[in-house]
Amino acid sequence: MTTFLQQLFNAVALGGVYALVALGLTLVYGVMRVPNFAHGGLYMLGAYLTYASLTGLGIGYVPALILAAIGVALLAALMERVIFYPLRDAPHVSPMIAAIGVLFFLEAAVQLIWGPDFKQIPAPINGIVEIGGVIVTWQRLIIIAASVVVVVALNYFLKRTLTGATIEAMSQNREGARLVGINTNRVGALTFAISGLLAAAAAALIAPTLLVSPSMGEVMNLKVFAIIILGGMGSVPGAIVGAFLLSFAETFGGAYISLDFADVIGFAMLVLVLAIRPQGLFKRGT
Amino acid sequence: MLEVRDLSVNYGHFTALHSISLNVNPGEIVVMLGANGAGKSTLFRTLSGLQRASGGSAKWKNTPLTGGTPEYNVAHGVAQCPEGRLLFPDLSVEKNLRLGAFVHRKDTAGTNRELERVYTLFPDLVQKRNAPAGSLSGGQQQMVAIARSLMARPELLLLDEPSLGLAPMVVEQVFAAIQRVNEAGVSVLLAEQNAYAALDIAHRGYVMESGVLTLQGTQQELMTDDRVRSAYLGV
Repeated sequence: MTTFLQQLFNAVALGGVYALVALGLTLVYGVMRVPNFAHGGLYMLGAYLTYASLTGLGIGYVPALILAAIGVALLAALMERVIFYPLRDAPHVSPMIAAIGVLFFLEAAVQLIWGPDFKQIPAPINGIVEIGGVIVTWQRLIIIAASVVVVVALNYFLKRTLTGATIEAMSQNREGARLVGINTNRVGALTFAISGLLAAAAAALIAPTLLVSPSMGEVMNLKVFAIIILGGMGSVPGAIVGAFLLSFAETFGGAYISLDFADVIGFAMLVLVLAIRPQGLFKRGT
Repeated sequence: MLEVRDLSVNYGHFTALHSISLNVNPGEIVVMLGANGAGKSTLFRTLSGLQRASGGSAKWKNTPLTGGTPEYNVAHGVAQCPEGRLLFPDLSVEKNLRLGAFVHRKDTAGTNRELERVYTLFPDLVQKRNAPAGSLSGGQQQMVAIARSLMARPELLLLDEPSLGLAPMVVEQVFAAIQRVNEAGVSVLLAEQNAYAALDIAHRGYVMESGVLTLQGTQQELMTDDRVRSAYLGV
């Protein structure tokens, strides 16, 4: 039972991080109809910017997280302007290739600046908490709390503000959005910025529990693409549910079957879902 | 008034509109008759700023409608209710309507007033206000689409095929609603294949064939024109 609860905390924390990264990806896909393969690069960059802010600027963890999130958000918006916007009328494969190019570029740039070796980010609050015999690190609790706050805030933004509604409107009917006078270019850049913000925040949250390296974005890329395919490309609830499905499958599969199989289980689940429901778990209107 | 002068639109080498000239006076309902593919939708898309003109001009009260963005045209009083409705299917009816007032986003009070007005115009929508727009019947969705374009408080409403795919009884309701909108002071340019219902409420009309205007006249003239009668009224 203790092991179970222990793993439960791990799964929820991991799922929270997956959800933040996957939400940005699914929003961008919904609005731009482009699978942004550079998304993992934004996540990786978020971790490095957090690292740089902590060690270089010597600021605290929370300001470093915020700085990294804002930095990556601006970069993501810039990326939309200079890479994806000019390719808006090009064949679909062009922005995909461009996105992969951006991913490689970001990896190379990070490696050039910070080197190929692993970096470690110290946890802001060291130590553990014991809850009824279950031992949880403070960082996992921080991850869980922060991801809940961010997801709730994002949901409020999408559902309760007019600017948020423009993102949903554009992903549901692009031409309809243009006809009511929504500036779809601005919404596109904004959506990219939000996706960068979420990815960087997720990276800053999880970074103290793992090693930061230039290739960490590729691993995350695979997982979040699996998640949004699982949940339905472009679907917000799909991204959240998919994130937790994957994190639970990985964590519990790893704990009860074999750690070596943790990654395999996630993708086996993906294959299964695609066989039964090719459109993803949460089918969305066109 | 809407003044379209020698407007041409090309899609690559294909010319969809050949130097079209027409006008819509304030307060009028003008119908644009024509078969599928005649170029009606191209004309409407150009007037809304979705499609670039290759030549000529279109103006609403001295505001050029060609060369800008849809945003600009909506903000200057020209709103389109497009063919196929183009609603936001997963958003509630009310959110669809509020987004229709996007160009007036700083004027919340005005938007709330307009919302009440369109609910009075389409009372069926009141009880559906929280339902996803995509869950409504075809006729109700058409009401939402017209209401959404009205939320922009247009002076000129471009209505593209509002009766498409609707049951005859619903078509009647839609046209009655268009007439009420017009009586409230909105000029209407209406593209229709359902010539009889459209001519019934229109003041004037044009006939478009293969991107050219082949005929124009008042409601009476068109109703009694032999070519219109055989081609569009089926008598």
